[in-house]
Amino acid sequence: MATPSLRGRLPRLGNPRKPILKPNKPLILANRVGERRRDKGEATCITEMSVMMACWKQNEFRDEACRKEIQDFFDCASRAEGARKMRSIQDTGESGNLPPMKLNKLLQRFPNKSHV
Amino acid sequence: MQCRTDLGLCVAFPPSPVTRSGTQKAAFVGSSWPAKMAAPAGKVARGWSVLALTLRTAVPRLPGLTQVRWSRYSPEYRDPQTDKEYYRKPLAELTEEEKCEQELRKTQLIKAAPAAKTSSVFEDPVISKFINMMMKGGNKVLARSLMTQTLEAVKRKQFEKYHAASAEEQATIERNPYTIFHQALKNCEPVIGLVPILRGGHFYQVPVPLPARRRRFLAMKWMLTECREKKHRRTLMPEKLSHELLEAFHNQGPVIKKKHDMHKMAEANRALAHYRWW
Repeated sequence: MATPSLRGRLPRLGNPRKPILKPNKPLILANRVGERRRDKGEATCITEMSVMMACWKQNEFRDEACRKEIQDFFDCASRAEGARKMRSIQDTGESGNLPPMKLNKLLQRFPNKSHV
Repeated sequence: MQCRTDLGLCVAFPPSPVTRSGTQKAAFVGSSWPAKMAAPAGKVARGWSVLALTLRTAVPRLPGLTQVRWSRYSPEYRDPQTDKEYYRKPLAELTEEEKCEQELRKTQLIKAAPAAKTSSVFEDPVISKFINMMMKGGNKVLARSLMTQTLEAVKRKQFEKYHAASAEEQATIERNPYTIFHQALKNCEPVIGLVPILRGGHFYQVPVPLPARRRRFLAMKWMLTECREKKHRRTLMPEKLSHELLEAFHNQGPVIKKKHDMHKMAEANRALAHYRWW
């Protein structure tokens, strides 16, 4: 679909009629796109964290006493991180467009020149 | 060759506007290539001729779009491998993947290694990172000398203790400054971090698991901040750092206290953990 025309829409000295558009920002393409609406996840590793904190409370926050719980917490965190990465890779592979972060990097390398 | 799948990310981006013909330099007058690309003509010609061999299709000149930031290295360039053990492995022990990688390395272009990275046996990535964090204004020479003086100070202190101690205690005193450094930083790493999350107009400190590199960074950052700011102005950095490292090695001192404070705050705010969405 072609861009709607801007002829006679803006408040300018040469324009005799009432302005149709009164933009509060200049009508120039920015060098970034907005983030897509992400679906709300929920917090991961809550149980491991609470177990570890209970252990801390009993042993006055000494790390040597709670080695096992801390290791479990780290394992859970790395597993959640891996799952998140797999999900994001699968999500971006399906639709045809690049994800917004990569698009922004690309636009930084090929910016829109708004100056002469 | 399908063994390098991580190059797929680079290929998805449109590559830098390099034309197939390596001869016409005048063609680039219209584009915004910097003058330095013209200078090392031989190297550039070699780069272009190699690029001509790759299976990538030619990128059309994009009218109205000029590339502003790129590196000297196009996406084909691979990172250098300075680890000698990688090359010393006998052929029988290599898996298919590794054999494929080694074959590729013979023909593909490799980036230059940074000056601070060596294949020496004394090279330590943790120490290099710490030196970089200590460096101010690009004065790597000074930062490196401070690091060596710190390690020497640690060693001297431990040797004094060793010679002053009795036979049973001598077995428990650790004298290698590198193990002391590594153990001290490991003791300073926080297990859980706090992240400010905006909810209902207020920022709450939510406990959050940290990735390993963030933990290492925080340990080093706290150590350096403690030494730079909380000590007397006239004491020298090696002296302050060696003292802090030894205290952290024995799980005492202000850096360990800071880590414990972080843990205590996380424990106090554990109800807010549900504000996280990842």
